[in-house]
Amino acid sequence: MNCADSRTYLPAYLDDELDVAESLHVQRHLAECGDCRQAQDEQLALRSALRDPELYAHPSADFSKRIEAAVRKAAKEEARSQRSSWFEWLRLDSLRWVPAAAALVIVTTVGVFLITNSMRSSHEQLIASDVLTGHIRSLQPGHLIDVPSSDRHTVKPWFQGKLDFSPPVPDLSELGWTLVGGRLDYVDGRPVAVLVYQRRMHNINVFLWPNHGSADDTIRQEDAQGYQILHWNGAETTYWVVSDLNNAELLELAQALRGH
Amino acid sequence: MTSQEKLCRFEEQISPHLKSAYNLARWLTRSHEDAEDVVQESFLRAFSAFESFRGENAKPWLLTIVRNTSMTWLKRNRNAGAVIRYEDVLEDPSEGSPDPEETLLIACDREQVRQALEQLPLDFREAVVLREMEGLSYKEISTAIGVPLGTVMSRLSRGRDWLKRILSTPSIPRPVRPEEGAGPR
Repeated sequence: MNCADSRTYLPAYLDDELDVAESLHVQRHLAECGDCRQAQDEQLALRSALRDPELYAHPSADFSKRIEAAVRKAAKEEARSQRSSWFEWLRLDSLRWVPAAAALVIVTTVGVFLITNSMRSSHEQLIASDVLTGHIRSLQPGHLIDVPSSDRHTVKPWFQGKLDFSPPVPDLSELGWTLVGGRLDYVDGRPVAVLVYQRRMHNINVFLWPNHGSADDTIRQEDAQGYQILHWNGAETTYWVVSDLNNAELLELAQALRGH
Repeated sequence: MTSQEKLCRFEEQISPHLKSAYNLARWLTRSHEDAEDVVQESFLRAFSAFESFRGENAKPWLLTIVRNTSMTWLKRNRNAGAVIRYEDVLEDPSEGSPDPEETLLIACDREQVRQALEQLPLDFREAVVLREMEGLSYKEISTAIGVPLGTVMSRLSRGRDWLKRILSTPSIPRPVRPEEGAGPR
């Protein structure tokens, strides 16, 4: 290392910013070169002059109290504004519930979509997603049924002219399933029939349309966000059953429907 | 993190560096009152930004905020010291590089050192204060000032050369002009 390099590296050397190898080069040069040692002494003299504790500036005696008070006040205000924003948010008469409800629907829909991803085929995933979204939408006030009737002889003819098929509408009241009505929905790119049954306070949506594919009587079950989805492909009709009813009871219904 | 937890963690991790914050602000603003105001503003900023503090080294994190707050303050108050550029006031240190015969001694008069440091242009003063007084690494200074490492090194080296020249007492006495030692204007 020559003097020019040594002078370049000297500050970083004294600031402990060189790696071991570089430091050794500088040290070796300093051992041999009086001029560079003098430069080092000057740097060190300047350093100790600047590190004189008397030059270090100190605030007023009560300054830390002042800062502590200012920060604590800010913390309090922050806590208060967080609290009040929650109170505002929770006010029932507030119109904020409209976007909140919309957000809930979106979140639920997205959740449904994500959860139904676990379904076997991607086509079935799409249908399951449609069906579950349809079920959730039906739970909004006024969306559940288009034809309110517990009489299958009223419900079945209602579908005529609205669909290109005539859905089976079995009477299952003896088994404890009350038919409350029917409606049209749109699943998998086509209009479908929906039968709405009730047991206790639970609504069950039965989506059905003609099965043009292969028949597979096996009932498949999926659990999506607290809802049960049951599905099978009958010889003539494809069934999708959705409810928040427990799995065992819903399976009874599915078996009863399949028997008809 | 609740507000209470945040306050506790802040007081535990950030508040101990109050003295460093003040020292830096004092050397940047060159005024006691201004420094206290800058530090108070910095602490409030630091508190509201505390969620973004990832538990790295607290002192450089706080000093970065103090430095930026000081700069904003200086700009707002159109402080003349803030706009003096090195090029306007300092000769190229490579010319008139200190002659060892002439500049062996550094004045030990504390007031002279204080004055010299106060008159060092801002860009160089902040690097020197962060390094010599606060002990920040080149890397930390580079983050705090927002300039590359090489710029930090060059500012430190030019700033120190300037201080050395100002503070050097000629070993051979020569006529002293009245403004000498008062720094560049």
